[in-house]
Amino acid sequence: MSIHTEHGTDTAADTWYEADLRRYLRGVGGLTVFLAVWWTGAAITQPSYLLPGPAESAQAFIELFATTTDIPLPLLGGTLTLPTALAHLTQTLFHYVPGLLLGSACGIGLGLAMGWSGRLDDWLQPLIRVLRPIPPLAWIVFAIVWFGIHHTGAAFIVFIGAFWINFYGAYGGVEGVDGELTDAAATLGVERDLSMLKLVALPSAAPQILTGFRTSIGRCWMIVVGAELFGAPGVGYEIINASNNLAMDTSVAYMLLISLAFLCMDVGFRLFERRILAWR
Amino acid sequence: MALSDSPTTTVDSTPKIAVENVSNAYESGGESVQALSDVSFSVDDGEFCCVVGPSGCGKTTLLRTIAGLETPDSGSVLVDDEPVTGPGLDRGMVFQEYALFPWRTVRGNIRFGLDRPACGCSDCERRVQKLVDLVGLDGFEDSYPKALSGGMKQRVGIARAIAPDPEILLMDEPFGSVDARTRDRLHDELINIWASTNQSIVFVTHDIDEAVTLADKIVIMDSEPGTVRSTLSVDLSRPRDRTATGFVDYVAQIRDELGSPTETKC
Repeated sequence: MSIHTEHGTDTAADTWYEADLRRYLRGVGGLTVFLAVWWTGAAITQPSYLLPGPAESAQAFIELFATTTDIPLPLLGGTLTLPTALAHLTQTLFHYVPGLLLGSACGIGLGLAMGWSGRLDDWLQPLIRVLRPIPPLAWIVFAIVWFGIHHTGAAFIVFIGAFWINFYGAYGGVEGVDGELTDAAATLGVERDLSMLKLVALPSAAPQILTGFRTSIGRCWMIVVGAELFGAPGVGYEIINASNNLAMDTSVAYMLLISLAFLCMDVGFRLFERRILAWR
Repeated sequence: MALSDSPTTTVDSTPKIAVENVSNAYESGGESVQALSDVSFSVDDGEFCCVVGPSGCGKTTLLRTIAGLETPDSGSVLVDDEPVTGPGLDRGMVFQEYALFPWRTVRGNIRFGLDRPACGCSDCERRVQKLVDLVGLDGFEDSYPKALSGGMKQRVGIARAIAPDPEILLMDEPFGSVDARTRDRLHDELINIWASTNQSIVFVTHDIDEAVTLADKIVIMDSEPGTVRSTLSVDLSRPRDRTATGFVDYVAQIRDELGSPTETKC
């Protein structure tokens, strides 16, 4: 075997390369078929505005970057001028990011506390059972009457969505902590509950907490667009606004924009996750 | 390699560990199972004590009670004449399934007990390195437990347990999941570590050969409920030869005591 090592690894690398290439080509094939079906469908659909084709949509997408739009800055005041696509994306992020971060922090906090303390769990479990099944978007009525349907109202809806997903991630993670690890920590001098939570429960639950957060990144995009369809400024609002003007190609362009924004965040977070969970 | 900074204690009559009439039951499927019934024995300072018995005789419960992880229903455990009320840094524990913190490296695991405020060690980094050397894990300091073999994991488990310099080391079938050859080597290493630290060890096992290889004193237990059948001093010089007549006699004697020779090998 040792004489043929070089040849052997070459073959192995070739096999890998071939497998990768085959997967890649299949992916391209799938996309091509989809584009062809879309193209044909758009060509034979009358009236044509019902389904814009890939070319018109791409054209609309490029135009979103060619024009600029002024958006008012919340809190700070003043306006910001950006290419149209980025301007509306930024508007969405103004409520998406605070809602996501605050909701995740609160959800993780309560999940850790309830997963750790049996007494708190007893107190809150029935309440959680009642509140949990309510879809975040159902809270839109309160978002409207409490905050008005603007950044704060939309952030509130996103907050609720992020809250539950992260709550269950942290709760399940802490509940699943191996009792032997807490025993080991106890024999190594960990006495207070809070130290145990910090030194054992939290790192042990980290994979589930991070998975919860990653899931909420995607789910909150769905929620934020839903909230914007009710009138909060941002990409979701632009989708319905364009379609009201029968500019369906622009709607498709904004949909594509959401997809790209989500992809970037998801990939970025996966890289971060892989780094901190190197021990797995 | 002296890991203990404390001067050798003067010989006195009080045992290091005294288990006095300990009974303990646990709930299983709505029924109360008597794990330990009126168990008494003692371990002297610096003594290596093995507890043998069939599976389900409450050996693990006994060890956990000494560790302070379980509270006995009646009776008490005394360490230096003080009743045990909870876990403490004076009693290190080694677990059967290692119980290493998977998110910490070898170094991080060994260091865990040194980072507690109760432990005043002035040069922790050097102590950790010394322990890494002691258990032969040079070059693996920054590895995570997932990358280690069973024997290596248990070496980390031992180093982690003895890092805060406990006077007592409690070991729960620590070599039950490693292969026979590694186990033999770990026995030698454990004896060396024990010789250099002067700790009192309580070592639980169901393997009679293992008990006779290691122990000064063997506590033989019966099951259902767990009781002490007898205790036995092992008067053999170390290192011990498993084929020597003396060794074989001890093994046969314990096997007799336990009653069913087919079951004891597990």
